[in-house]
Formats: sequence, structure tokens, C-alpha cells
Amino acid sequence: MPIKSFAVAMIDALAHSLRSDPNVVLIGAHSFLSDRGLRPEDERALWDAFPDRLIDPPTSEGVCTSLVTGAAMAGMRPFLNYGTATFAFEAFNQIMSEAANVSLMSGGQLRAPMTLHMFAGIRGGGAGQHSSSPQAMYANSAGLELVLPASPADAQGLLRSAIKSDNPTVVITHTRLLSMTGEVPDGDFSTPFGQARIAREGRDVTIVATSLMVREALKAAEALAQDGVEAEVIDPRTIIPLDTAAICTSVRKTGRLVTVDEGNALCSIGSEIAALVAEQAFDALKAPIVRVARPPVPIAFSPPLEAYVTPNADKVVAAVRKTMQA
Amino acid sequence: MAFSPRATLARMLLMRRFEEMVITLARVHKLGRQHLAIGNEALGAAALMQLADGDLIYTTHRNHGHMIARGVDSGKALAEILGRAGGLCGGKGGTWHMTDPALGFQSTSAMVGGSIGLSVGGGFALKHRKTGGVAVALFGDGALDEGIAYEALNIASLYALPVLFLCENNSKEGEAQTSRLATKELTAVPRALKIVCASVDGGNPKAVDRAVGAALAHVRGGNGPYFLEAQLVRWPGSHQIVHEFTTGVTDVTAAWDKAKASNEHAEWQRNDPILRFAHDMIACGALTREDVVALDADANAMIAKARTFAEASPFPKPEAALAGVFV
Ligand SMILES: Cc1ncc(C[n+]2csc(CCOP(=O)(O)OP(=O)(O)O)c2C)c(N)n1
Ligand SMILES: [Mg+2]
Repeated sequence: MPIKSFAVAMIDALAHSLRSDPNVVLIGAHSFLSDRGLRPEDERALWDAFPDRLIDPPTSEGVCTSLVTGAAMAGMRPFLNYGTATFAFEAFNQIMSEAANVSLMSGGQLRAPMTLHMFAGIRGGGAGQHSSSPQAMYANSAGLELVLPASPADAQGLLRSAIKSDNPTVVITHTRLLSMTGEVPDGDFSTPFGQARIAREGRDVTIVATSLMVREALKAAEALAQDGVEAEVIDPRTIIPLDTAAICTSVRKTGRLVTVDEGNALCSIGSEIAALVAEQAFDALKAPIVRVARPPVPIAFSPPLEAYVTPNADKVVAAVRKTMQA
Repeated sequence: MAFSPRATLARMLLMRRFEEMVITLARVHKLGRQHLAIGNEALGAAALMQLADGDLIYTTHRNHGHMIARGVDSGKALAEILGRAGGLCGGKGGTWHMTDPALGFQSTSAMVGGSIGLSVGGGFALKHRKTGGVAVALFGDGALDEGIAYEALNIASLYALPVLFLCENNSKEGEAQTSRLATKELTAVPRALKIVCASVDGGNPKAVDRAVGAALAHVRGGNGPYFLEAQLVRWPGSHQIVHEFTTGVTDVTAAWDKAKASNEHAEWQRNDPILRFAHDMIACGALTREDVVALDADANAMIAKARTFAEASPFPKPEAALAGVFV
């Protein structure tokens, strides 16, 4: 299989979509395509192939969201890239009140097949306004699908599914995943929503991790294996829909659960998974669940302060140790 | 206050040497993204030096120059950029969120359009509290792309709020654009909302001084908001993520030395507001070459001291990350 970077895999998914469906457009093209590791001739070829479907709009996140929603309702299949995730907060009304409601409010008569993509996460020096991991906020929308790819292959396959989906879909890419490389199947392919990936098998503890935290969880699992603790790492890949069966099956096997998500711990993806397991697999638990997440504080600029609140492999190891001792 | 070529040039040089030091420190300390105000000195200095105690200032990602222009301690500003405990915000804000309320700085927002929105709130409070102060919104042409610009201008006009909207327009048609407005005339938007507008050459401190003086008089006189567009020439390095000395280290002698003024940076040097101003002030006899060299030496010395302070300042304790969310 070819080796690709996460960023190039995403671009390839988009390129396949542009080629196969004339109603696909990319709004916010520059920050999606440029300086993302494409060979210059490949990037040029894309711009040349789709001169009126790769669009750089004004810095107008609000109306761009309305624009793609309206266009999606009127027969297109647009893809909006916001750049940094916090810029999408400019469009919260348009996402939450307009896009998320289209299908239900129309009694199922209308749909909004659109993809909203953003670069998120604690990225180093992003400070208060460029460090958001907003996944739980979108998970709480009721009406949006939510995709958190964690590997180059999933970046391509899940993005392709997001564009094909007839629902409004939010895709959140952790900035620090962009340079990650990995094997990606040849050609055009889609990865179905709602199917978790078992990133590592293990018998002692289940770690459910999202996005960049999958990599940290895998690092932690390697460290724990040195001490004879075998962690199973589950990557849900999509939060809406969520593969609840895969999570519960794993917890039934291991009896222990640690969740790892970079968002704020309060009302988080980790909270939801913990609640799910408490409701559906309580009897299998041998120890309290532990959540690894950022504390509920804005991110400070100074490097030691940022490091202090950033979830990482060491914090996952500590969380697993805690649940193993309980 | 009468316009002082000497004080203005001194401040402009301090702003320039500050940003050049940021380029150096970014390399030494492997800092991330900065947005430097090189080339914006004439506007920043001549505008912010006119503000009074009690005026409130709201700035953007390109904030360093504004802070230094207003007289913020350059050591504390550099320390903030390095994330140190001795920084303006204890290292928590960094380059993008420096504030100094003692000098009126309420906010640096790195969200395009952030400052223009908050400034309306400042103006609302100043009017309500009858302080006589002015809220100054500094923003780039890009802010006018955002819906909040329209909303803010409208409400400021509707309520006759004491707000000076000061737009640093560094977009030029046919070149790298930071705004995509359907009109090429930025002031057409506020003018349609009945806001008094003017445009000024933002590279000419004397013209800026006059224009800002008139704008402030209008706002302080209780006549509602004012929109001033400063037309700036974009510094060729301004798009870089990690900055380089794209146009070399500034050499003030290029203001009169013909050989230096025709080197590979000649085109920039013709537009460089510092070299332009020094040249003009020498030509009209307001300053001598020796004055300019001495002012530059002072600026360099102050910035060297600022660096020493910033680098000696310790990092905050990691646990400080959790403190100060609520008061
Ligand atoms: C809400 C929002 N959208 C997008 C960005 C990304 N961004 C950072 S700087 C910038 C350009 C701003 O242009 P302008 O306001 O004219 O300022 P300049 O950098 O030209 O001084 C953009 C779009 C942002 N910071 N905030
Ligand atoms: Mg601009």
C-alpha cells in the first residue's frame, strides 16, 4: 500500500470527490491544499482542474456556512474548510440553528449534504483562541454527524464518506496529525461511519481514544506492555454515529475503561463514553472509569502551562495505573 | 499636543527595533507564529501617541506595534512573547493576547473582527459613564469581511458611540489581499451607515497625526463614531509564519546614503515609513543625520535592555495554568 501523509490523504479524498461529483465544491481551498505536503505540480494540477470549484472566500465564516447550507439544500454537495476550529465559532448559529435542523424541521423533506472541516487541538503556542478541541460541542448539536479521523487511511476514507453523506457532517482534524504518515489503500475508497477501529488488542484495560489521542494511547500501551499490562485501544472514528457495541464488547473483555480525548473534561466525549459504559456494561467493570482530558481552563500561551494541561501518553499511563490498582 | 518629529521618530524606531528583536528571539527560542508590525510604525506611533488616560484600545493579531507605540514596557512585552512570568499577562496571553489595562489596552483579539466588536462595548461604557474617553478599535482591512464589522459600525452610529474605528489597510489591488470586499473603497461601508470617514497615507506620520487629531476631536466632541482608513504598504515579510529579516536589518543611514538606498531592498526602502520620515525631516531641517543616528542608538539600547529583562524572567510555574479562570 502507498505511504501517505494525513494531509495528503485528506486532499486525495477531496480530489476523488471533485472528480466523481460535479456538485462538490471546496470553500476555504487555500488552507486545505497549500503547504500541506502535496508536490507543487500536483497542487497546481488540482487548481487547474477545478478553477471554479476551489474557492477562497472572504474571511466570513458565518455567511460561508449559510452559503454551503443553502447550496446543499439546493442540490449541491459543498465542503467548507474553516481553517482553525475557533473560526467556526463565528458561524455557531449557522451550524447549530440552520444546518443541524434542516432535515428534522422540514419533516424530512429537505436535506443538507455538506461537510464542515476544521483544524483543531492544542498545537503549541495557540494560546486562548487557537487551541480549541470543540468536538463535544458539535456532539451536542443533535443533527450533525461528527468525525474524528486519527490515521491517514481514515482521513481519506472518512472524509470521502463525509462528502457522500446526505447529512451535515463535521470533520475535526487535529493540527498535529497533519504530518503523520501511514499506509493508505490505493484509489478511491470510503470508510463507513459508526464502525470503531481496534487500534491495538489487549486483555487488561480498554482505552477509548479519539483523534491525536489515539497515537498517545498507543504510545501509552507500549509503555504499559513493558510492565505486563496489555491495553486494548479503541478508536471510535465517528462520535455520531457511535459504535457503542465495539466499546461495550471491549469493556466486557477487559473490565476496565480509560477514555482519552483532548477536549475539556466537562460534558466531554469521555463523559459520554463513560456514561454509556456505566449504563450498558456496569456489571463488567472491575474498577472506576478514568477520563483523561484537558481541565476546564482556557489554554495559556506559555509552553510549560500549555504542557501542563495537554493530555499525553504519560497521563494515559498514569490513568491506566490508577484503574489497574483499584 | 503639537506634533514632535523627534518624539515620533524615536517611537517609530523603538517599534521597529522591537519587532526586529522579536525576529531574533523567535529563532533563538524557537517561537511559533508572530504577526509583525514592520511598516506600520507611522500609523501606530502618530495615532497612539495622541491617546489620553482613560481611552480604551482594542487591537488585533498585529498588535506589537500598537503596544510599543502607546508606551507599553518593551521588556514586559518581550517577556510576554517569550511566555515568561514577568510578561504583561504573566505569560498567559503571548503574542496574540497581550494587554496592558494601565495604558488602556483592553484586549488583543486574534479573531479577525474581534477588536471592532469589543470596541463598541467600550464606547458604550464610556458614553454611559460620561468619562469623556474614546474607544479605539484597531483592525485590518480583513475585519471588514466579517459580519460583525457591519453590525458594530451600525450600532456605533445608531447610538452615537465615542468610537474611533482605525483601519490599517494593507491590501492593494492585484497583490496579496487580506480582504475581499466587493467595493474597493473601504470607507463606503461605514459611510453608508452615516459614519464620518477619512483616509490617510498611513506611511506619513505627520498626515496621520493630523487625521487622527481631527478624528479624536470629532469623537471627543460627542459627535459619534469616526472611521479612519490608513493606507499602508505591506512589508514583504508580513506573511511569513516564522519571520526572517526579509528586507535586512533596518539601516537608518539609508535615509540619506544613496548607495545603501539602491541595494536589493531598494523598493521596500522607498516605502519604509521610518526611512521616508527620517529623510523628510532631515530635508526640511527638523532633524539632522546625527539626531537620527542618536535616536536609533537609543532605541537599540532600550530594546537590548528589554531583551535582557525578558530572557532573565523565569517561566511561570506549570500549575499557574489552572489559576485565574474566574476572579
Ligand atoms: C475569525 C477569524 N477567521 C480567520 C482568521 C485567520 N486570519 C488570521 S490573520 C488573517 C488576515 C487578517 O487580515 P487583516 O485583518 O487585514 O490584518 P493583516 O494581517 O493584513 O494586518 C486571517 C484571515 C482569524 N484569525 N480569525
Ligand atoms: Mg490587512
